[in-house]
Amino acid sequence: MSNASSSDPSPGAASPASSLETVKPAVLLIGGITHVKKEWEECSSFAELKTFTGETREEFLKSCGDGSYSDVVAIYRSNESTSLTGPFDAELVSKLPPSLKYICHNGAGYDNIDVAACTSRDIQVSHTPRAVNAATADIAIFLLLGALRRIHIPYAAIRASKWRGPSPQLGYDPQKKVLGIIGMGGIGREVAARARAFGMTIQYYNRSRLSADLEQGAKYVSFEELIKTSDVISLNCSLTKETTGLIGKKEFAAMKKGVIIVNTARGKLIDEQALVDALEEGKVFSAGLDVYEEEPKVNQGLLDNPNVVLLPHIGTSTWETQRDMELLVLENLESAVRKGGLVTRVPEQQSMNAVKN
Amino acid sequence: MAPSALVVGDIYFEDAKWQALSPAVTLKEYRKGTRAEFISLLKSGIFDDVEAIFRSNESTTVTGPFSEEIISILPPTVKWLCHSGAGYDNIDVEACTQRGIQVSNTPNCNEGAVADLTIYLMIGALRRITAPNNALRAGKWRGHIVPGHDPKDKILGILGMGGIGKEVAKRAKAFGMKIIYNNRHPLPASIATSLSAHFVSFEELISTSDVISLHLALTPSTERILGAAEFEKMKTGVTIVNTARGDLIDEEAMIRALEKGKVWSLGLDVFDNEPRVDERFLGSERVVVCPHIGAATVETMAAMERLVIENIKSALFNGKLLTQVHEQISQS
Repeated sequence: MSNASSSDPSPGAASPASSLETVKPAVLLIGGITHVKKEWEECSSFAELKTFTGETREEFLKSCGDGSYSDVVAIYRSNESTSLTGPFDAELVSKLPPSLKYICHNGAGYDNIDVAACTSRDIQVSHTPRAVNAATADIAIFLLLGALRRIHIPYAAIRASKWRGPSPQLGYDPQKKVLGIIGMGGIGREVAARARAFGMTIQYYNRSRLSADLEQGAKYVSFEELIKTSDVISLNCSLTKETTGLIGKKEFAAMKKGVIIVNTARGKLIDEQALVDALEEGKVFSAGLDVYEEEPKVNQGLLDNPNVVLLPHIGTSTWETQRDMELLVLENLESAVRKGGLVTRVPEQQSMNAVKN
Repeated sequence: MAPSALVVGDIYFEDAKWQALSPAVTLKEYRKGTRAEFISLLKSGIFDDVEAIFRSNESTTVTGPFSEEIISILPPTVKWLCHSGAGYDNIDVEACTQRGIQVSNTPNCNEGAVADLTIYLMIGALRRITAPNNALRAGKWRGHIVPGHDPKDKILGILGMGGIGKEVAKRAKAFGMKIIYNNRHPLPASIATSLSAHFVSFEELISTSDVISLHLALTPSTERILGAAEFEKMKTGVTIVNTARGDLIDEEAMIRALEKGKVWSLGLDVFDNEPRVDERFLGSERVVVCPHIGAATVETMAAMERLVIENIKSALFNGKLLTQVHEQISQS
């Protein structure tokens, strides 16, 4: 990481002898860094590096209360931080040190951070959108193809040394099927680009219609029309109050018989029990899921169903993508400390004052 | 008198079209049974006026391969053997040719489906998806997982750029891969450009690809085209995908390369002793396996069955197959 301050020509800049030089703002790491440890160490050029070494929410709140973090301006919130401190809900946010101005979260989804609580405390939050797009779209297509083939059945048979098993079934081709994408952001558009190469027809629902340039021929439809007319439905929207339970009993009832559901976004977008029921009724042919309503718990009705393809939330679990995500967190951290603004701030905070991206 | 045709194995989707051949064609069938029974029926003479055979996709599981043993006792009236499937290594074409039997297969029906499964296996192998997949189904959420790799910016080497290879290239391009290929002949420039695929030598493909995918027909010259010497030349960390034929690869050499860490992961739909699969593939979390289901889709199977019926009609009424196997075309 470059040390831009060394080239700061302003006359007021501290000389090397000044005592100001020793007062660096602190940044706090919660959870581990896997791929960019060296780059993290290099952040010591502009910030004092602190690490939360505890393992529980209690320990974290205690450190927040006892002044250990009283000089921390920015937090690197790793993927695993929720398993250590629990969600950054209103309670936790209220106890963060007054010095804290930035939370740099590693992940595209940030429903485990209460953004409104952060905003009211003037804390800016960043996430890692674009870095996750391709890898998440890859897994969406993997699940889509697997679900069309109900591939868990032959997969389980061959692994049990039973070749195709007692009653082999045929799957379906994606070609000429209508793929309905809910949420046409960065990930949704990458899913569309891949699905097109498989000969699928793309329609989408989004809060607002995209420019023709971004649509690439995809048809903009209402939520109701998408639900009713898609052969495959892929969820690629974020989880908010409005989207929680977006797909429930009523929506399944309105779908085409034999529809396929792909979810790589968030489990809570779907009423999982309603999905289990729709699968059992045969309304839904198959589902390809990477996310669940109560992760890491998975509905037994899904685990017991051979017709579905299930993965344990590994959409972005690749070396390349995880490294890109960690680098983007550091980029946000550096920008926060040095320029007083984030690079990839969450959309809810776009109206807050900040430096230009 | 109406000519006779015999179906061996079952017809799943286009049985109505088969039945509709009657009364212009007298229809006979052997849909279920065993090789021994089929042989005894052939010898009994009940199929003696059959001119064309519809050999269904799963007929090998009913009668076993149409080896010399079977070909030699087919009724002398048989002139046409119409197979439902792109691959026909379970038919002794040479023996057919000697008896004057013309053989057709069903090319151009399964390209999309096999290419789809190829991409599925490739992503699965790059992600080493077997471990998280098994952990979750066992109620252990992720278990111990290792991050996988992205296809983006990786070099995909396609061996055999026929119909399936081209469909794989088209899909892989959408995942941000760079495509190189080796084939008997380079593609016409316009097609190569539209696929962004670069022709390279076999040697270069083997030594520079991050992922190698096989899309060759199995012939004496392609058998074991990947062996110990080839694995030695590959990049460390290569991923191999095979949806073509198991015998294209020396399985022992591939397993050694996997165990040594030369090969990062495998995506396999075909095996050299199908339906038997080496335990070392089944036991490895670095291998994604499917039981030869590349073309096993409703749309593909229906298209193949329609093409078999078109071949039979053309043979019986115009004296010519529509999609005769290339070994017989090049010699006629």
